[in-house]
Amino acid sequence: MAAARRPADRWTGVALAAPALAVVGAFFIAPLAMSAIVAFRSKGGGFTLEHFSKAFDLYTTDLLFTLAIVLLSTVLIGLLSIAIAGYLTLGENPRAVAMLRWLYRWPLFIPFVVAGQVMRTFLAKNGMLNHVLIGSGLIEPLSAQSMLDWRGIVVAFVWKQAPFVTLLLAGAMASLESQHIEAARNLGARRLRVLIDIVLPQVRGTLLVGLVLSFVTMLSVLSVPLMINPNSPTMVTVDVAYRINTFADYPVANALCLLSLVLAAGGAWFYLRHASKKIEATA
Amino acid sequence: MNAMTLPSPLRSLLRAVLLALFAFAIFGPLLNLFLWAFAERWYFPSKLPLEYGLTFWYRVFQPRGNALASLGTSIWIAVLTVFLSLAVAVPAGYALARLRLPWRSGILLAFLLPQAVPNLPVYVNIAQVFYQIGLNGTILGVVLVHASHGLVLAVWIASAAFASVDVSLEEAARNLGASAWTCFRTVTLPIAAPGLIASAIFVFLESLDEFTGTYFVGVPDVTTLPLLMFNASMGGNYQIASITALLLLIPSIGFMLVVERFLKADVLAMVGR
Amino acid sequence: MKSRLIAFASALAFAGAAFAQTTLNVVTAGDQNMVDYVNNYLAPKFEAANPGVKVRAVGTGPGDSGSQKIYEKLSAQQKAGTAEWDVDVAVIHQLASATMVNEKLLMPYRNDISAGKLVSRDTAKNALGANVDGYVMPMFHSQIVFAYNPELVKAPPRSFAELTEWVKKNPKQFGYNGVKGGMSGVGFVTGWVSAYSGIGDKLEKGPFDASSGPAIDKALAGLKDFNQYVVMTPGNAGTLDMLNRGEIAIGPVWVDMFYTWQADGRMSPKMKLALPSPGLPGQPMYYVIPAKAAHAQLAKKFIELAESPEVQADGIIKQFNWYPGIDPQYVQPKLDQAAWNKLFTDVSPQDLAKYGRPFPLSPYFKEIVEGYERVVLK
Repeated sequence: MAAARRPADRWTGVALAAPALAVVGAFFIAPLAMSAIVAFRSKGGGFTLEHFSKAFDLYTTDLLFTLAIVLLSTVLIGLLSIAIAGYLTLGENPRAVAMLRWLYRWPLFIPFVVAGQVMRTFLAKNGMLNHVLIGSGLIEPLSAQSMLDWRGIVVAFVWKQAPFVTLLLAGAMASLESQHIEAARNLGARRLRVLIDIVLPQVRGTLLVGLVLSFVTMLSVLSVPLMINPNSPTMVTVDVAYRINTFADYPVANALCLLSLVLAAGGAWFYLRHASKKIEATA
Repeated sequence: MNAMTLPSPLRSLLRAVLLALFAFAIFGPLLNLFLWAFAERWYFPSKLPLEYGLTFWYRVFQPRGNALASLGTSIWIAVLTVFLSLAVAVPAGYALARLRLPWRSGILLAFLLPQAVPNLPVYVNIAQVFYQIGLNGTILGVVLVHASHGLVLAVWIASAAFASVDVSLEEAARNLGASAWTCFRTVTLPIAAPGLIASAIFVFLESLDEFTGTYFVGVPDVTTLPLLMFNASMGGNYQIASITALLLLIPSIGFMLVVERFLKADVLAMVGR
Repeated sequence: MKSRLIAFASALAFAGAAFAQTTLNVVTAGDQNMVDYVNNYLAPKFEAANPGVKVRAVGTGPGDSGSQKIYEKLSAQQKAGTAEWDVDVAVIHQLASATMVNEKLLMPYRNDISAGKLVSRDTAKNALGANVDGYVMPMFHSQIVFAYNPELVKAPPRSFAELTEWVKKNPKQFGYNGVKGGMSGVGFVTGWVSAYSGIGDKLEKGPFDASSGPAIDKALAGLKDFNQYVVMTPGNAGTLDMLNRGEIAIGPVWVDMFYTWQADGRMSPKMKLALPSPGLPGQPMYYVIPAKAAHAQLAKKFIELAESPEVQADGIIKQFNWYPGIDPQYVQPKLDQAAWNKLFTDVSPQDLAKYGRPFPLSPYFKEIVEGYERVVLK
């Protein structure tokens, strides 16, 4: 505590962070700045907002759609990962816990593009999900629906990202002191209460990291919406690719990128507020 | 009336059913992958492949196709990316967690950028710069691009991992006379290790998943398997896409197993000291 | 100089090549079978004829996005001022070729090779209205057609008017991929506009008339109505995918993709093709040589080989069942009648000549596609 207040540490801190900053600065931020310039440059070379107004004119629906889908996915991921990680920590049947631990990780190793591909065949009208539902008598063949719209995108995202957040959460929960949990259980508290009142508050930081990272990642994925639902309304990444590939319209594509960045920054702001509060609390 | 008060056999049944449903949710879509990897003919109206075979495996592994070499390159690049990312992320994460950094939020946000932006237009600019400085077509160039992408995972998770180490433990060590470096090495690092290992796994997986940057900076000298997988997937060539995805599963899972095993032994060794 | 050294060292290290070996880099847009074609068929022939040369083929992905990636790589090298570029031969679509010629990224070569005289079609000189004469040679020609399941569709619609009636009686049985998912959907839209705007010929031949907006918008309004009865599919491959699973019975597809899917076992051999009147667009894929290719001479020899009548007959037609890039009269003598007729199983040469059209001129193309976003999607 006292150590952190010495002025010399300020610059030690900067020196320690410098290499990482240099890598991301040189190899992403600088090129991003070049893109940003293109978004604001008019044909004659001056400053203009026309590309942004065109982007809003054509793609406001898609921007809102993107935000809605990614937010919904993030919420679902949060709920699912809390449930799974909670059971892994508090579950009483060792076989079930072991099986769950083995099961949930698989989607981690599947790249987004493959996740999009398997979901396209799984969720289609004549896909595996409907075959199983019809085969087990749960739905009528005629009422089989194709989920290849916003629902398919959400399913693909949740399927792929929930294991990531779960892994982080389970690790954080496992490193908690078990005395608190045991004390509460000895007092007769139900496991759900223990989860919500004791475990969750302590791992909130990790949960937030996982969710914000997921939120931001999902915003920039191209392959999943392109494979499941590229027709309007669709995610902004599809529109970026469309502007580039059909019109070679880099200015509007870069404008859309910057707008997407604003959305991501909004999500990141939540984490940063929480994180700085925590640092101030421990300082 | 909730699940906790159900009689034991009913509870077991509920547990089994939920697990089965969960297994279906995880493996149902993946089953498709396995089927397509071995399907030679599959179309309506059959629900399962009509003919199975290894023709497409031969196609992927044909000598001129370089699949094995691409796989090797991909793994090598991923390993280098992990090393580079951790090397710069551990000091940065520690600084962000423990030391007073100016513009702390801005720094954290900076690492977020590569993941936050649809990176197609940006990589065009990177290609241009790399051509100018001669990094195009080199492994180092590709590793730098992958690292800049993966650093957000490495730095954010490292920072969270270090922040979760109890400060009083560090203070105790310092009070006993340990230097800052010894304190870091023997107290902070071992406790934060699980988080760091997790971030290593994610950076590795991220690198194996990356193809846009690899195309712009590496092709035609450096070709990776994810490139082939992406092209096959987008073109609807399900057999080749599934086979390459299965191939890429091997290093991914292998890396995780190796790293987790190493971690357990190390941490246990630390506990005794 | 330093960048040349690094590039040279890397090439040594990672290609494992001996000092005397030259590597010819062929970068191709399109599906994996294009890469396989170069690797398995063209490369061995070329390497046998040119000892000391190794051909390296890389794919950039299907559709115009694959071609756009090649454009971006060449453009990046141009802006960086690199002396020798790392692509020797590229295979691209029409849209990208027009841009590349415009920005001086390509080298004219057609008049330097003898195979250059074997193409007389308009597509060898004109890419969506842009003059690309001398810079390109068509590798093969493809055509958008309706693929349909004859067991579900007894009498396929033979014209757009028939199609409009058909979808009302058979809702959700027709699917296409809009404008954002791939060119087969875009081609359907431009075909629709050509059929219903009344200015079909002007759209393809010009001149560009800025006042044709209302006619185009009127046709698009009809398309908006049409869309209620159809399924929107996720892309070129998405349409084929849905046909594969029987979720739609008929949809516009690229002929070359269709035959590839059939050969790979992803499409029932019973599926048939139909070309409706007044027509659907088609386009070739082009061989091009970048302006500063490191091995321009070798590149020309490579294209010479690929465009020779024997290779076109054996490779393009026999292997893939695609329409040849050079004029058919040079290729037909190299094939037996059965192989030749296989090309025209469902779509006769007469139909192809009448209903196989080019895409509209570039400014009209942009108007139609942007109009779709404005009128149909809003």
